[in-house]
Amino acid sequence: MKELAGRLTALDPDAGAAVRVIAYFDRLVEGRAGLEALVRGAAVLAGCPARLDDERHRVRIRVEPDGLRADHDGPADPAWSSAPLVPDGPAAFWLERPGPGGVVEAMVLERATAAIRTVLDRTRGAAPPAQAGDQALTELVVDGAAPEASRLHAGRRLGLRAERARAVALADGAAGVRPFVQAVPGPGLPPGRAGVGPAVPLADLPASWAAARVALRLTAEGTEQDPGPRVVHADELGGLAVLAGAIGPGTPPVPDVRALDRAAASAPWTLATLDAVAFSPSLRAAATALHVHHSTLQDRLVHAEQVLGWSVHEPQGRLRLQLALVMRRAHRGISGRTA
Amino acid sequence: MTIPSSPPQAAPASPPPFDPELAAGLEIMAELISPSLLPDTIPEMRSGIGLARPSDDDLRLGGAYEVEERSVPGPEGAPEISLLICTPTGMPGPVPALYDIHGGGMVMGDNRTGLPVVLEMAHEVGMAVVSVEYRLAPEHPHPAPAEDCYAGLIWTAEHAHEFGVDPDRLVVGGASAGGGLAAAVALMARDRGGPALIGQLLACPMLDDRNDTVSALQMQGIGVWDMTSNDTGWTALLGDRRGGPDVSPYAAPARAQDLSGLPPAFIDVGSAETFRDEDVAYATRLWQAGSQAELHVWPGGFHGFDLLVPQAAISQDARAARVHWLRRLLAP
Repeated sequence: MKELAGRLTALDPDAGAAVRVIAYFDRLVEGRAGLEALVRGAAVLAGCPARLDDERHRVRIRVEPDGLRADHDGPADPAWSSAPLVPDGPAAFWLERPGPGGVVEAMVLERATAAIRTVLDRTRGAAPPAQAGDQALTELVVDGAAPEASRLHAGRRLGLRAERARAVALADGAAGVRPFVQAVPGPGLPPGRAGVGPAVPLADLPASWAAARVALRLTAEGTEQDPGPRVVHADELGGLAVLAGAIGPGTPPVPDVRALDRAAASAPWTLATLDAVAFSPSLRAAATALHVHHSTLQDRLVHAEQVLGWSVHEPQGRLRLQLALVMRRAHRGISGRTA
Repeated sequence: MTIPSSPPQAAPASPPPFDPELAAGLEIMAELISPSLLPDTIPEMRSGIGLARPSDDDLRLGGAYEVEERSVPGPEGAPEISLLICTPTGMPGPVPALYDIHGGGMVMGDNRTGLPVVLEMAHEVGMAVVSVEYRLAPEHPHPAPAEDCYAGLIWTAEHAHEFGVDPDRLVVGGASAGGGLAAAVALMARDRGGPALIGQLLACPMLDDRNDTVSALQMQGIGVWDMTSNDTGWTALLGDRRGGPDVSPYAAPARAQDLSGLPPAFIDVGSAETFRDEDVAYATRLWQAGSQAELHVWPGGFHGFDLLVPQAAISQDARAARVHWLRRLLAP
């Protein structure tokens, strides 16, 4: 009857209790319970939080002694009772309480770990788990044509634990895209051009990927012949994303872009000079960025304005120049794969 | 849909398997729990319950509730009954109240049995809880338990203002035998023009003395509160009348012919328990009679699973479902 609410935590710390711990985990395994149920069982029986953090399988589960799941990323305390999942491997399962504990706690640790190992082997196999850069999984997670369940599964295999992620389109077609969990991807980006999509729920990564690819087309190598930002965030594009969407590698260049090409051919410094003028707060700042004297810059602009056919000193002319530079980059195709 | 009320010819199939976490929890408590309660083990079971009796301090939930015990008039010609009145602290104005009837197969328990769990639920929605002490069978057969519960409800409605409770927002509730008594009290309030209840929360309620459904047969000797225990409880309450033609719906609400005009019901039950079929049938009959009911059948749940293994994922969900129903019921 329900009133015999003998709590699991009321176990006596004796040999009989240890036997019941064994029976508890045996029944969970027999019933094909999931990993969370195993971690919960350990937390409830030991009366302290239990956590599983298996890098190999990219599984992280933490449960409080009241049975509530409460994951967090804080580091494990080396003083806690812990056990590895593979012989001589790193600690992967913890009872969040300084060890060593009594008979019951030792038995919980041992039986829970054994049961977790069984379930991991059954459900995730002994095959090498996904690496962070697993290309096939990465393509799947951003593939809008794939079923959502498959994409979410791929995301878990990639170790995406956060609720939101960004797709990142890289210039080298082989890398393609990398999901990020940081609010603003910075140090994690590889060198080279990158378009960064907006942070979205995992299920929406295909949309983030599409935006990242648009952003990538507006990046530049940051050299004299290809001036501009190496990393472009789709979040910051505003209306430029609409503009980029209207232009592609096959679109005939508008007259202002052709004028920029002519200017680029007329002198090696032209593009970098115009980019600095277009996107610096002042001509003086542009001269500083270009490491040229202010009067040199003025001379260059006289030449450039002649080729372009419009003044870049006026606000309207600067906007026209900004748009022309952005449109010129937008004609850039994306090398490699087109996932 | 009809649920067969007479035993089928062939032996019933095995019941659905227990949820893995619940099965493991039951394994731990195997020594504490026997599926079958027999009349001669009632005294032993009663004393077992007494060990876990919560104190006033347990009932305060760390200061969330004030606890007061009141002796109030019982049914006419019967002794007074005791009400445990738990009112939420720091809540302005009259609050809704859950009139709680404890479980225990009609033969065990008191008005503190399982009450901390009820208070935790009530705390989430800002309700007071009034828990009634009713006389137990077999010393006090029907109608003593049901009439005690009804008398306590009448007193609660009439004196609600004295302890900050809104008499127009009373929900009657209970688990197991308490759920059966709560359903009975709802019928009595309807038939006798008693307090206008706004809801009845029936957790795995014990409703049908006939004890002959497929689920009762399936669960024989298995799990918690099997067909034998159920026979022990109903026979204690009804004696020779159990299963016969003249059982009052106030003893066994499944016997009620008319389930119209009742307050909205919440019914939950496990798929692997004796009461599954009678509880599903009661919900179905409420709908057929035009009454409102919400029914949850938790897969692989045995009787009282969320009380015995509260940490299991399915127990957490079952408790959350009750809170959600109360929240919708009480929404202004």
